[in-house]
Amino acid sequence: MLTQLILNAFISASIYILIAVSFTIIFRVVRFFHFTHAVIFTAGAYFVFFLRMELSFPFLIAVPTAIFASALLGCLIELTIYRSLRAKSTPPLVMLLVSLGIYIVLQNIISIAFGDDTKIIRSNLITEGFNLFGARITFIQGLTICTTIILLLLLVLFLKITRTGKAIRAVSSDPELAAISGIESSRIIIWAFAIGSAICGLAGILLSFDVGMTPTMGLTALMMGLVVAIIGGLANVSGIVLGGLLLGLAQQLGIWKFGAEWQDAIAFGILLGFLIVKPQGILGKNTKKATI
Amino acid sequence: MAHAAFYGIGAYVAAIMAIKLNCAFGVTVLCSIIFSMFFGILIGVSTLRIKGDYFVIATFAFQVITFSILNNWVGFTGGPDGIPGIPQPVILGWRVTSSIGFLLIVGGICAIIIWGGHRIGNSPFGRVLKAIREDEIFTQSKGKSVETFKILIFTLGAGIAALAGSLYAYYVSYINPTSFTVMESIFIICIVIIGGAGSTWGPVIGALVLVTLPEILRFVGLPNSIAANLRQILYGGLLVTFMIWRPRGFLGKYAFQNREARK
Repeated sequence: MLTQLILNAFISASIYILIAVSFTIIFRVVRFFHFTHAVIFTAGAYFVFFLRMELSFPFLIAVPTAIFASALLGCLIELTIYRSLRAKSTPPLVMLLVSLGIYIVLQNIISIAFGDDTKIIRSNLITEGFNLFGARITFIQGLTICTTIILLLLLVLFLKITRTGKAIRAVSSDPELAAISGIESSRIIIWAFAIGSAICGLAGILLSFDVGMTPTMGLTALMMGLVVAIIGGLANVSGIVLGGLLLGLAQQLGIWKFGAEWQDAIAFGILLGFLIVKPQGILGKNTKKATI
Repeated sequence: MAHAAFYGIGAYVAAIMAIKLNCAFGVTVLCSIIFSMFFGILIGVSTLRIKGDYFVIATFAFQVITFSILNNWVGFTGGPDGIPGIPQPVILGWRVTSSIGFLLIVGGICAIIIWGGHRIGNSPFGRVLKAIREDEIFTQSKGKSVETFKILIFTLGAGIAALAGSLYAYYVSYINPTSFTVMESIFIICIVIIGGAGSTWGPVIGALVLVTLPEILRFVGLPNSIAANLRQILYGGLLVTFMIWRPRGFLGKYAFQNREARK
């Protein structure tokens, strides 16, 4: 029972962590809450559904194409809408509302195109599952956990070693200083959108393999990702991983004790607690107030 | 982002009191306002330190929790099935049954609220609020407690939302949690932005536009399933368009601009 609970916590934590990390990459360079991220999550899943079930491409083509399409969608939103708004130095609150508007439009387009019912990708990947220390885990769930770990390692390496990765970190921590050092921020922002959206799309695909897809799944998923990202202080990968595991465990314990319907309330209760008591995140240091 | 939560709290308090305690119209409305204002104070005080975007997220969290409680506390709120059979209101011995009667009551209360809002806007209290909007630190330096004013106006807003909620509950006589979701909060934000924030008549115009536009769509004769989605696309599209080209809305004075950009 306990192993199953912990394992389930890891599975849901993986998806949350992927969303939170991808959200944070974008948030750090653009500095507003990019709600459209939710629809990219959904779009990733529906791209695979469209390519696999309606055009019957093999998975090996459908999945990478869908990830690429998600990245493209993210970049497109940045290029067509966010960029011109940023040039007018629009405050973050307005950007948040704009991204919310785009989310509503795109989500409803998906609803019209595919319908509101749950879609399932039928595949031979779904097996009965196998035993792991007395707990059951399906192939997809195992794949989700492994993908998350590998992606996180690759991402950390990318951010630490490559030139673009370093530039992304530079723009994240101080855009003006980065600009002075000759880093072209608009190019870096595109990079952040591409990487973030690709990871987010992949997370959507993984979740849809496991439990199917609906047009509104993105917002629920993003809300959880947001909780994790804020617990992680919207900063580093290690904080987000801790936040994801914390939320995953808390939710599984909640399901065990109170029932599955209280998941959202538990997650957002934790979020409110963190925002009120420790808004700088689980690993954040208490900073002295330096406003004005 | 939590306005639909207060609206929902108002509706549920009114419905539960009207059915289970058999209270009169005036009493339930008053109680729902007070109850919601109490929550307003609670949220206002606890989230006072949270600034800007994070405040939006915090109210968002409150919204989701409220919806979750309305949806899952089956014993008290009826869960997803909602509360049916809310009795028709009786005001001074007059039982309101027709839509016209409701229009008169709601219109009258709405007029009072608009008048009150206008009065507040021009009162010393309203001037301090405008000063806070323009420059918090300056207002603080003039000896006004920004925090008190923020909590007061947040609470007042919560109360008015609850008033709307209780009227809604009486009008439709059946409420369920789907009327009080995050989407409803976003819809309310759309009304404010399209009409224009910071003006008395702005939200009136916004509400008129956003309620009548979908009715026009209905004449086009689309199937119901697509019409609902199209309506939301319309709201989302309008929100984006207004934010890009006219952030102050039809009548607004407050343009959501950066201080640097305004100079």
